[in-house]
Amino acid sequence: MSSDAVKKRKPKVIRNETGTPETKRGRAEGDQAVRVYNEEVELEARDPQQDYMLYKDTCAALAKLMAEIQELKAGGAKSVEIEERRTQCSVHFITLKKLNRLAHMRLKKGRDQTHEAKQRVDVLHLQLQNLLYEVMHLQKEIGKCLEFRSQHEEIELVSEEEFFQEAPAEISRPHVTRDDQHQLTLARLDWELEQRKRLAEQYKMSLARKEKIQKAIEQKREYLSSLQPGLQNIMQASLPVQEYLAIPFEHMQKQAEVSRHLPPPLYVLLVQAGAYGQACDKNLSVSISGDVDEAKALSRPPEDSQDDESDSDAEEEQQNTKRRRATVGVQLDDKRKEMLRRHPLSLCVDLKCKDGSILHLFFYYLMNLNILTVKTKVSTTTDLSGAVSAGSLLNSESLLNCLYTSDHGKETPNPANRYQFDKVGITTFADYVSDLGHPYVWMQKLGGLQFSSDSALTGSALSASHMERTMKLLRGRLQARLALHKQFSSLEHSIIPVSSECQHLFPAKVVSGLMRWTMMSYQEFTELGFVQHVLKAGLVRETDLFFMAVVERGTARLLAAVVMNPRYPEVAPLFSLSLHWKGERSGRTDDNLQAMESEVNVFRSELQGPRPGLQLLTNQIQRLCVCLDVYLETESQVCDGSEGPKEFPREKMCLRTASTKPVIRVNFSKLRFIHNK
Amino acid sequence: MFISLQLLHMSVFSQSFSPCGRFLAAGNNYGEIAVFSLSAALSPDASQASQKPILNFTAHDGPVFSLLSTDTHLLSAGNGEISAWSWAELIKKVRVSCSVNDNSLIVGGGDNNIHIMDMETGIFKSVLKGHTDYIHCLCFKEREEEILSGGEDGAVRIWDSRTNRPVHCIEVFKYEECARPQFGKWISCLATDSDWMLCGGGPSLSLWHLRSMSPTSVFPLPGCQREAVFYQDLIMSVGEGPHVSHCLHGGTVKAQIPCTPSSLNTLALNLKNTEHRVMTVGGSSHQIDVFTNFSYRAFSLSF
Repeated sequence: MSSDAVKKRKPKVIRNETGTPETKRGRAEGDQAVRVYNEEVELEARDPQQDYMLYKDTCAALAKLMAEIQELKAGGAKSVEIEERRTQCSVHFITLKKLNRLAHMRLKKGRDQTHEAKQRVDVLHLQLQNLLYEVMHLQKEIGKCLEFRSQHEEIELVSEEEFFQEAPAEISRPHVTRDDQHQLTLARLDWELEQRKRLAEQYKMSLARKEKIQKAIEQKREYLSSLQPGLQNIMQASLPVQEYLAIPFEHMQKQAEVSRHLPPPLYVLLVQAGAYGQACDKNLSVSISGDVDEAKALSRPPEDSQDDESDSDAEEEQQNTKRRRATVGVQLDDKRKEMLRRHPLSLCVDLKCKDGSILHLFFYYLMNLNILTVKTKVSTTTDLSGAVSAGSLLNSESLLNCLYTSDHGKETPNPANRYQFDKVGITTFADYVSDLGHPYVWMQKLGGLQFSSDSALTGSALSASHMERTMKLLRGRLQARLALHKQFSSLEHSIIPVSSECQHLFPAKVVSGLMRWTMMSYQEFTELGFVQHVLKAGLVRETDLFFMAVVERGTARLLAAVVMNPRYPEVAPLFSLSLHWKGERSGRTDDNLQAMESEVNVFRSELQGPRPGLQLLTNQIQRLCVCLDVYLETESQVCDGSEGPKEFPREKMCLRTASTKPVIRVNFSKLRFIHNK
Repeated sequence: MFISLQLLHMSVFSQSFSPCGRFLAAGNNYGEIAVFSLSAALSPDASQASQKPILNFTAHDGPVFSLLSTDTHLLSAGNGEISAWSWAELIKKVRVSCSVNDNSLIVGGGDNNIHIMDMETGIFKSVLKGHTDYIHCLCFKEREEEILSGGEDGAVRIWDSRTNRPVHCIEVFKYEECARPQFGKWISCLATDSDWMLCGGGPSLSLWHLRSMSPTSVFPLPGCQREAVFYQDLIMSVGEGPHVSHCLHGGTVKAQIPCTPSSLNTLALNLKNTEHRVMTVGGSSHQIDVFTNFSYRAFSLSF
């Protein structure tokens, strides 16, 4: 048994607990005489249950021995028995130790076996996992494959019927494709490809053709542009011919070119005035002046300017933050200037008169206010100077005043402008009139701008309907003013210029003479005492011109205040008289003077003289002198008691027979001047 | 329609009431005659429009210096011609010039003579010569059938209408109390009331007793009087100066009523119609003043 085994092996025991065959063999070779003791082999041979029983027995024996020892010790026993027992105990201890060792070895073995099994299981498990992964992967792949949308499905293929009809047999292979969807699709794709190739070919060819044609065009263009200088030369050469034939062809072309940039009202005016000039009035000419480039700039398409604006705005912002912002007043000023801006192009209409003087009218268009304004200039062949009182006659401010009644050109005729003015703080347009020109109503009509609802005409029809009359009025106005100018200069020299055609209206000898001829202002006029009745009757307006004439004969002095309407000679001048002779009398207080006034104011139709009646004023003054003569002579006749020499000897023959006709007939008791009208 | 300029220089020279007294005809220096309806102008609901003429027409080339109404016709005298208009037609606003069926018309003209015309036939019956200058005014004394005429030569001549011979000649300017040499010697107004005669013009307005042929009173009126009438116991006269003068027989000026025109040419009293008893004056203005109560101006008619 165990103790035997122990004994046997005691001298040369090579414990081999590991049990590895190599080590065992190794030792075995080293020591041939030694018997190898393998406990493990022994272990397998033993039965654990038996070992367990042995263990129990041993423990029990040990316990019994211990108890005996104890008893012996207590009883005072001999050490030999104790020794014996002790030896037995030691043997038992060794047995126990072996058993323990064996137990440990069994445990270890068991563990190792478990471990191995576990490992094997792990390996298998791992394999299982791998396989499972692979399965999943494959499934995914299958899924993906199943989902795959081939690009070919996006290509729109021709329908099947068409395909079968059109495609050639080697592509369509109907015997195959009719059954097999896959093949059908393939065939169709083939056909598609075929077609595309063909079309690509065609495209290339067309492109090449286009290139050729383009080149041809280029060549021809170059040819044409090479002709241009030649044409220019011809045009230049033809200029003298044009002038000779009086067809200013090129000039008209140039004008047409520029006139495309005119704003609409100026264009209407240009066309109508040009047409009128050609048709009726050879002395009227129209031309365009001004800056064409600016005009072109104004009509530039807005996208460019918007971009520019946004850039410039950004710049401006930066600039503004750097320096002080402009004051409100300056901003308002700028807004005003913007509102009153003129279009860069302007029209110049020249009206020539027979005596060589020309009335230049410059028409401007105010873009934001949509009105036309005019500035005038008069150029004459003779020098106009020396007439102090005529200062305002040809003044460009007032030359065209009241061409039509009450059209004084101080206010803008466009009612919408009122609102625009309010926004920028302009109260009256009259302040700017001297700068910008006068916005007369007739001018708006000539430009086709209609602001009142008077007539339904607009545009060219409106312009045409007013053109002739306005031109005639303008010419008449110029002539009247020029005539007045001449007359005034001689009036200031105390000579009444009566033309030869009008001499028959007056008797041969007129003694009363004009002493003075001066101009007055409206203020001075209203202050005169003897004109109040005229003012009250509403016959005087601020736009009229006022003059004072002094006629004298001997001690008698006749003051005549003359109100001249700008529309002379259509509207006759109005005379108001005041006589200083033996007291002061006026037309209100003295019937005779009233009769003289009516003589000159009312019965004046024969004083008009030859058309266009420009002699009216001078004839009226001459008649005044004649009347004064007659009055003074007969008045001093009447009051004779006949003392002393008559101051005014009768120098006129006043015929007083009933039957003779156009002669001054003086009936002084009721003092009426009887005329043949 | 008149423009303001013409209105400014208009003078009314003559007036005449219609036979029925409801209309006034006025003539102005442009030769136009305007007919105003007094009944419209005097009615309680008169408006601005009723002070305008109901009819306005050009009668003559020259001024209409005198207007005279007969029972059926309006006679107007212009520059050398006399026209007769039928009142009936005028009232109906139609103007037709036609002949008259009346007795005789006495015309004093610029040829220094007085012509008497038979109105039925239109022939001048006789001529009274005597004046040396043209005749300004005429009036008729019904009782004695005498014609009085005054003229530029300063003489008032009295003619017998039956015999057509001058009876008397008074040279007013020779009488010191009347004469006003600074104005001249012409006589422009004559009025007679049986025994009394008013005459004035260059010389002052004076009242004469015809039997004695002497001036009884002289009226101290500043300007030359152009027309004067007897009315009840007053004498009304108009002339230079914007007023109507009421004077008493004794020679005092009782009142001077202001008027619109600055000097007056004509005065007319509508005595035929008691309803529309008015006095109208016209002068160097386009307005004719109407006096309902003779002491003040009521309103003005305007051409």
